[in-house]
Amino acid sequence: MKTLVNVARYHLVDRLSYWALPWGILAFSFLINLAISGLLPSPQGDYTGGLFTIYAYLIVCGALSMTRSLPFGLMLGVSRRGYYLGTALLIMMLGVVWGLGLTVLQAAERATGGWGVGLHFFRVPWIMDGPWYVTWLTSFVLLVLFFWYGMWYGLVYRRWNVAGLIAFAAAQVLVVLAVVVAVSMTGNWPAVGHFFTTLTALALTGVLAAVAVALGLGGLTTIRRVTI
Amino acid sequence: MTPVISATALGRRYRDQVALNDVSLAIQPGTVTGLLGRNGAGKTTLMRIVTGLEFPTSGAIRVFGEAPAENESVLRRMVFVREDQAYPDLRVTHVIRVASWFYPNWNGDLARQLLADFDLPLGRRIRKLSRGMRSAVGIVIGLAARAELTLFDEPYAGLDAVARQLFYDRLLADFAEHPRTVVLSTHLIDEVADLLEHVVMLDRGRVVLDAPADDVRGTAMTVSGPATAVEEFVAGRPVWRRQRLGARAAVTVAGPLDLTEQARARALHLRLEPLSLQQLLVHAAGSPADEKVSA
Repeated sequence: MKTLVNVARYHLVDRLSYWALPWGILAFSFLINLAISGLLPSPQGDYTGGLFTIYAYLIVCGALSMTRSLPFGLMLGVSRRGYYLGTALLIMMLGVVWGLGLTVLQAAERATGGWGVGLHFFRVPWIMDGPWYVTWLTSFVLLVLFFWYGMWYGLVYRRWNVAGLIAFAAAQVLVVLAVVVAVSMTGNWPAVGHFFTTLTALALTGVLAAVAVALGLGGLTTIRRVTI
Repeated sequence: MTPVISATALGRRYRDQVALNDVSLAIQPGTVTGLLGRNGAGKTTLMRIVTGLEFPTSGAIRVFGEAPAENESVLRRMVFVREDQAYPDLRVTHVIRVASWFYPNWNGDLARQLLADFDLPLGRRIRKLSRGMRSAVGIVIGLAARAELTLFDEPYAGLDAVARQLFYDRLLADFAEHPRTVVLSTHLIDEVADLLEHVVMLDRGRVVLDAPADDVRGTAMTVSGPATAVEEFVAGRPVWRRQRLGARAAVTVAGPLDLTEQARARALHLRLEPLSLQQLLVHAAGSPADEKVSA
């Protein structure tokens, strides 16, 4: 456990990547959206999707944690497993704190009627528009999911380089296609539609959590044979 | 005594190239071993396997009696300083601080002393350091970690002669106070010759020499003087190499010379010179020995 905490501390030494950049990028995205909403008010409110920037950044950050930071991490007498679990733990701890931050900002947005200009930045219809504790939980799950996804990408790159990345992305496309074909051939689209339309935000969070766990296990399997 | 490192028929093959081939060796605790060999001989691969960063394709490796890969109880007892160590984008002081959290025997005073000795700018980012300074960061970590098994792989790329001497001095001083097992791979063989107690030489992935340094020294002598006298003296001895310049000759012969033979050489006005470790290893590597090979 001490090793895992030390690995997490090792990453946090890079304050730029783990504090300044994610929130700086989000603030930038937010201010641009705010300016647009202020200049061009729309009566039904603005739905921007700008919140996605922090998640997109986390894919990059997760990938860097398994590429740029890995060689020195493994110099420090840590096993691959320890390094991976420590990093995974780090984003879970950050996810709790950051998720709370996003929840507070969402509450502020709601209280101010969309920052006075009807902006829906921290409120995303259906998935992130419920009670504060669901928003917190969903934010946490999404932050972790995207970071772990990035970690897996980084590890695939470390092991198989660019060719591996292409194969990895292609494999994901194939998995999605296989699901689509399977649903079509069994004529199950109405059932799928029913599943998603009746899904609550909380249940969706559960589905995302399952995806996150799958991604995390994928990365853990990939790091086992990484060489430095 | 259980060896600190023990390799049995270790092999590592990459697609079209054999990096290690049937390597068997044992490194005893408390010794300084020189791991020598030409570029591409397999030194780094061997050290990476010892530290669990690479996996062998055949054979077995034991460190402190256990398999090192993914074994933190073994991994945390060693430190591996390598020439091509990549660091994240951090400042010198951060890297040192991070290292201090991980190594159980870390000595902060020693680290501070070494940082000052090597004149390292604490606040500068690692990627802005010169090659030599980056090497010095690795050396500081390697020494201050005081790990039971300390591996240096060409640790001083880009370091000037003064800084290298500083490294040897500090290594020796700290080793004397806190004995540990050191494996040092280097091309600057003559510089470290006095430090080494044991020598392992790799050539194209194979161990070609594995012996105490003292046994290796004095295994060959160069006899020089008037050509006729030299030829008379070396008659019947295995000759490694023969050079002639006009009426003078220099011949390298195998084997130590006893006192009678040394007296005879003096009587013939011949000069006797033992081959340096570096020259011996150049010979062992089978490269043309006529020119003086530099590191």
